[in-house]
Amino acid sequence: MANCHGNHEHGNCKTTGLCPIVTFPEVVNIDEIRDEIPEVKTFYLSFPNKDVEREFRIKSGQFIMCTVFGAGEFAVSLPPSPENDRFHISVRAVGKVTNALHALKPGDKLGVRGPFGNGFPFEDIKGKNIIYVAGGIGLIPLRSSIVHALQHREDFGRIILLYGARSSQDLMYQPDIKEWQQNAGFETFITIDKPEAGWNGEVGYVNQLIEKAKVPVDNSVAFVCGPPVMFNSVIGEFLKRGMSEDAIISTLERQMKCGIGKCQHCAVGRTLVCTDGPVYTYRQIKTLGEQI
Amino acid sequence: MSMYLLSAHDISALVTELQASYDVYGPQVEPQTKQVFFDQLASAEALDLAAPIPSMPVKEILFPQMERILKYKYDAQSQSVELSKQYFERPKVLFGLRPCDLSGILVLDRFFLGQEFVDDVYLTHRRQCLLISNTCLHPFPQCFCVCTHSGPDADEGFDLDLTQLKDGILVRVGSEKGQALADAHQWSVASAAHAAEFKAVVERSIDLFPELATDNKAWVAKVMNRITTGFVKPETWEYIGDQCFECGACSFVCPTCSCFNIEDSATACGECERLRMRDSCSFEGYARMAGDHNPRQPVEDRRNKRFFCKLSYPQSKKYLRPGCVGCGRCQWVCPGDIGLPNVVQYIRREITGGQN
Ligand SMILES: Cc1cc2nc3c(=O)[nH]c(=O)nc-3n(C[C@H](O)[C@H](O)[C@H](O)COP(=O)(O)OP(=O)(O)OC[C@H]3O[C@@H](n4cnc5c(N)ncnc54)[C@H](O)[C@@H]3O)c2cc1C
Ligand code: SF4
Ligand code: SF4
Ligand code: SF4
Ligand code: FES
Repeated sequence: MANCHGNHEHGNCKTTGLCPIVTFPEVVNIDEIRDEIPEVKTFYLSFPNKDVEREFRIKSGQFIMCTVFGAGEFAVSLPPSPENDRFHISVRAVGKVTNALHALKPGDKLGVRGPFGNGFPFEDIKGKNIIYVAGGIGLIPLRSSIVHALQHREDFGRIILLYGARSSQDLMYQPDIKEWQQNAGFETFITIDKPEAGWNGEVGYVNQLIEKAKVPVDNSVAFVCGPPVMFNSVIGEFLKRGMSEDAIISTLERQMKCGIGKCQHCAVGRTLVCTDGPVYTYRQIKTLGEQI
Repeated sequence: MSMYLLSAHDISALVTELQASYDVYGPQVEPQTKQVFFDQLASAEALDLAAPIPSMPVKEILFPQMERILKYKYDAQSQSVELSKQYFERPKVLFGLRPCDLSGILVLDRFFLGQEFVDDVYLTHRRQCLLISNTCLHPFPQCFCVCTHSGPDADEGFDLDLTQLKDGILVRVGSEKGQALADAHQWSVASAAHAAEFKAVVERSIDLFPELATDNKAWVAKVMNRITTGFVKPETWEYIGDQCFECGACSFVCPTCSCFNIEDSATACGECERLRMRDSCSFEGYARMAGDHNPRQPVEDRRNKRFFCKLSYPQSKKYLRPGCVGCGRCQWVCPGDIGLPNVVQYIRREITGGQN
């Protein structure tokens, strides 16, 4: 049984043979819930239907539409690596649906449609240096690509993470970060906004780490995700150093209702974030003619 | 293309016969208000092929204002859920479509079925549909399909097409399904004189279009050019945006507007239903995200989105034609003065410096 419920009429089924769950949500079980940082929890999920589970394959940078039964549906990034990783999502409680999700317990069920979206390039950037720059929960959409790149460490040049949060309490994925800091092939620079007792890492904004990390601009790609202020200062810094606009990659967020390019809620400029995005190069973002 | 000539009686008989295996929809005049609705026909007598363009577009049948697509019941105690799909296939005949409404359906087809994803809900309504169009012998007020190449006669997408001639009703066949119907009934074949009369009827209808429409003909293409390349001045968009009351009426009456919203709502019996309802890009909350972040705040940004949808090349690549089919309904309903033909006028004035 294909996840597209058998009609194979969608673009993805034809081009990649990977059928997304398109209209009718598939039920998933919440296996475990972890408190991540204030207001953000990570939910580990699994499909009771093992046929669907086997066919549910993702690409870094894609997202799913997640139904909280009784409350509604919302778009959420996929932080797991496409290979050998647990299926999970990390969600900040900001409104009706996300608050309802936070009230659930292990064993409760959710609905899932997807995966949708173009995803980050992986094959095209082999042989290059990768610089990940994240602010706050901007690490959620980047995690998948980071773990995937580390699983294929030999395919890339330097791999660098510049990550900043307001305080040490606001750093996402702390167990992962500890592991990454032990990894000799991964240069991690973590910063918090203000000094704190017991903190002996960097202090200040992420854009200041670019200098510190001696970030290479030639033969490099930068993945940047975070709040608009951070985004703009980081981009400015990269451009000043002569990085190409095509080598700076980010994701956009818009209100989403269908995820399949039909409802038009996610329209930005001439593109739809759900099917043409959510991953865009800075050159594309610049020409969209709308606010970030 | 084969052509046949039928009598009014043959048409009635066809409707009655089709009703045995299809839901048959057609234009009918409401006796009290004289309003025209394209609705399911109770009997062949209700069908009025001479009725003016219906006030609501036919998309209502394939893409309803609001529909339930899913029902579920979540039991928090046992942590289990039951889900059921709520859209079903029913064979339908749309009998007597005005050519602009037919073009509207083709636009929706290409949008909902022809892009990266197929929209299952629309496909379910659209599968097993028979489309029968009806030539306009004269335009109605506000019609300007001559500018957008979608009337007053149909040239693609129909199974059968009807035209009232002096001797009877000319039936043009446009598909295998249409041909099968013709063969099954052994309708009498139309003559070369009838074919010539059809041409003349269409020519006469085109001559009857109001000056605004015929005058705008070449301008629609020029305006598309300007909108695509971003050469319309911000002042012009502001002038247009200032007249929008954000009522959404233009989107609801437009045969090609396809935006929708999805919401889950609880029903009385502890169940929940997922509703899909039409939406309009003119509404302020359309793009608003959590925390009140709204990337598309100014009203002129949202207006310019609608006209970009109707008149621009990237959009027509999706539709294989302009997004506007010239029905003029938005001109009819807009409480401001920014129906599509007027917007063409405003941009035209900008180009000519107010000369024309
Ligand atoms: C591609 C993508 C990936 C995302 N990934 C994550 C993630 O990994 N973790 C996370 O916590 N959040 C993520 N978000 C944001 C998340 O979708 C919103 O926070 C969520 O929709 C808010 O819904 P709500 O009902 O709780 O909020 P309300 O404010 O009550 O929202 C009302 C409605 O507005 C819409 N809406 C509001 N804010 C957003 C928004 N920012 N984006 C899209 N729709 C919105 C929703 O459809 C919702 O139904 C992502 C958004 C997108 C588009
Ligand atoms: S716009 Fe054209 S096709 Fe539509 S009703 Fe008017 S004349 Fe007929
Ligand atoms: S934009 Fe206006 S005139 Fe054009 S198809 Fe839509 S409602 Fe009709
Ligand atoms: S009908 Fe006119 S006033 Fe109403 S939303 Fe459309 S453009 Fe604005
Ligand atoms: S979410 Fe519906 S079109 Fe993108």
